[in-house]
Amino acid sequence: MIEGIMIGLSTALTPTNLAFVMLGCLAGTFIGMLPGLGPMSAIALMIPIAASLDPAAGIILMAAVYYGAIFGGSTSSILINAPGVASTVATSFDGYPMAKKGMAGKALAVAAYSSFSGGVIAALFLLVAAPFLASVSLSFHSTDYFALMVLGLVAVAAFAGKGDMIKALLMTVVGLMLSTVGTDQTQGVPRFTLGLIDLVDGISFLLLVMATFALSEALLAILKPKGDADRLKEKEASQNLGSMAVSRSEVKEMAPVVGRSSILGFLVGVLPGAGATIASFLAYGTEQRLAGPERGKQFGKGSVRGLAAPETANNAAATGSFVPLLTLGIPGSGTTAIMLGALIGYGIQPGPRLYIDQPAVFWSVIVSMWIGNIVLLILNLPLIPYIARVLAVPSRFLLPLILFFSLIGVYFVSFNTFDIQLMVIFAVAAVVLRFLDFPMAPMILGFILGGMMEENLRRALLINNDSWSFLWERPLTLSILLIAAACLVAPMLTSYLRRLKRQVYDKAGEGG
Amino acid sequence: MLLSKDRIGGLLLLAFCIAYGLLSQEIRLLPFQANAAFHARTMPEVLTVLGIGLSLATIIFPGSREKPSLAGYSWVTCGVFLGLMSLYGFTIRPLGFLLSTSLFLMIGFALLGERKPLTLVLVAVPLVVVFWVLMTQGLDVFIEPLPAFLRAG
Repeated sequence: MIEGIMIGLSTALTPTNLAFVMLGCLAGTFIGMLPGLGPMSAIALMIPIAASLDPAAGIILMAAVYYGAIFGGSTSSILINAPGVASTVATSFDGYPMAKKGMAGKALAVAAYSSFSGGVIAALFLLVAAPFLASVSLSFHSTDYFALMVLGLVAVAAFAGKGDMIKALLMTVVGLMLSTVGTDQTQGVPRFTLGLIDLVDGISFLLLVMATFALSEALLAILKPKGDADRLKEKEASQNLGSMAVSRSEVKEMAPVVGRSSILGFLVGVLPGAGATIASFLAYGTEQRLAGPERGKQFGKGSVRGLAAPETANNAAATGSFVPLLTLGIPGSGTTAIMLGALIGYGIQPGPRLYIDQPAVFWSVIVSMWIGNIVLLILNLPLIPYIARVLAVPSRFLLPLILFFSLIGVYFVSFNTFDIQLMVIFAVAAVVLRFLDFPMAPMILGFILGGMMEENLRRALLINNDSWSFLWERPLTLSILLIAAACLVAPMLTSYLRRLKRQVYDKAGEGG
Repeated sequence: MLLSKDRIGGLLLLAFCIAYGLLSQEIRLLPFQANAAFHARTMPEVLTVLGIGLSLATIIFPGSREKPSLAGYSWVTCGVFLGLMSLYGFTIRPLGFLLSTSLFLMIGFALLGERKPLTLVLVAVPLVVVFWVLMTQGLDVFIEPLPAFLRAG
């Protein structure tokens, strides 16, 4: 492991890669701060640049953008109560009340210190967990990988929230369907190309991500423009931040919260599908309960604990989500799915062999997480008063620019104008589906995993003489599939039991 | 029947899944492939069944009964932007990067409310030029800057 860390340090600490970490954190914070644009859009916008770099530098850049975007999202949550992404919604519960009390600077500093601690502690866990899990997963077969991919897809849907599971599953299937467009990998047969030569190589992953996230986000903002009051609020918030000093008593109050939330966040992040949003809400809820009745009442009114908990947990979860990506090659979230797509674009297959075949990539990602967190703290925090001014840039300039960067980002990779037209079509579909509250992340996950899933299933069948019996004969495969089934059934069962309980109460109420 | 957001989305995706299923039958298989346990049509066929099943489940058991409200949205502006993006795709080659992108941005700014012609030009043109220089000089990505009629040769 020491050797690995040294490899990581020597790769990540080169002047060029350090510059990419700084650039990534800064760009991520900048993009993440724009309401609506989250880490997924930020990473997607960076892919064309990352594609021109060597794999280690490209992944370092994207990882830095990821942290920067989470940090930027927290900033807009605190300053204008407009979380860029779901994972920073819990941050606004106490961050915004603090900002309203004139303590925006302090709230930003608490968020930055918590994010830093969460990220650093979780990176330590990752350092231990990733090589261990990778060595265990070396014994995995194609059948197990197929089962793991099913689990990953199902888990994302299972965590989608009340009433949204079927929609998330449906979107996952749509993503899987889109992944089948193009020439079949083994038999060389064109599928769903509609006779168009531009579709023979399939749909570009970057195109799909840009259209469904960055483009549709900007189009939705055009669809529902902000009022003058909102714009004034953003301008004022970006100008009056107050002091950024955090007192010793506040640090004492934060410390245990940060410790607990880091562990919780990391563990939740490792679970496929759970991610930073669930981690932040869980940490918030847990700390509220642990705070006792007196302190618990302060939650939602500007509590330092209430701000530190979700901020620590979402960053720790972001780090934790790299565990399944780096060790199994299975992304646990939409963001890591995009990173997986980028890695595949480099010709690198993440999985148990990554840390043997590409130690520089594996370890430099882990080391760059520490460096990224340090950069966020010492560079981004002092720069926040200046970066926050992006909130004052009028949307009439910002939105066409986002559209332009998305379109040109895809065009610069393929130099094919057909891609721009295809993006417009996907953007229309994404806007309609998002307007109807259908989630996009499961679709991206399905799209990324589709090809690999089909390949692993095909290989498994080939090894098993065209027999499907491996699904129940191999204990590991069966166990993973049973967990996937449990993930599907559990939310349905709890919802049914809750409904039953309510009916019983209602009847009891009527009776007496 | 109440047309909630979930049901409308379910119906749209049901149509998509049916179309996908029909197109999956057009995937050509060689005779020896047709009898294999797994061939190029297997995954699409399984996905069609899953997709239709889940679309129907969304329609029959909608998670929310919220109706979509079309009022208060700038549908026309959004539609014009979609047209503008498509037009940008068609003009980027014949008009060159600098002119097509400057026009795209200036029309975009104007559509969202910027009324001063000087501001439109001063924001869009320098940004496009700097971006082009950055891409060609910094990242070695060349893109034709000038319109077709001004290009040498």
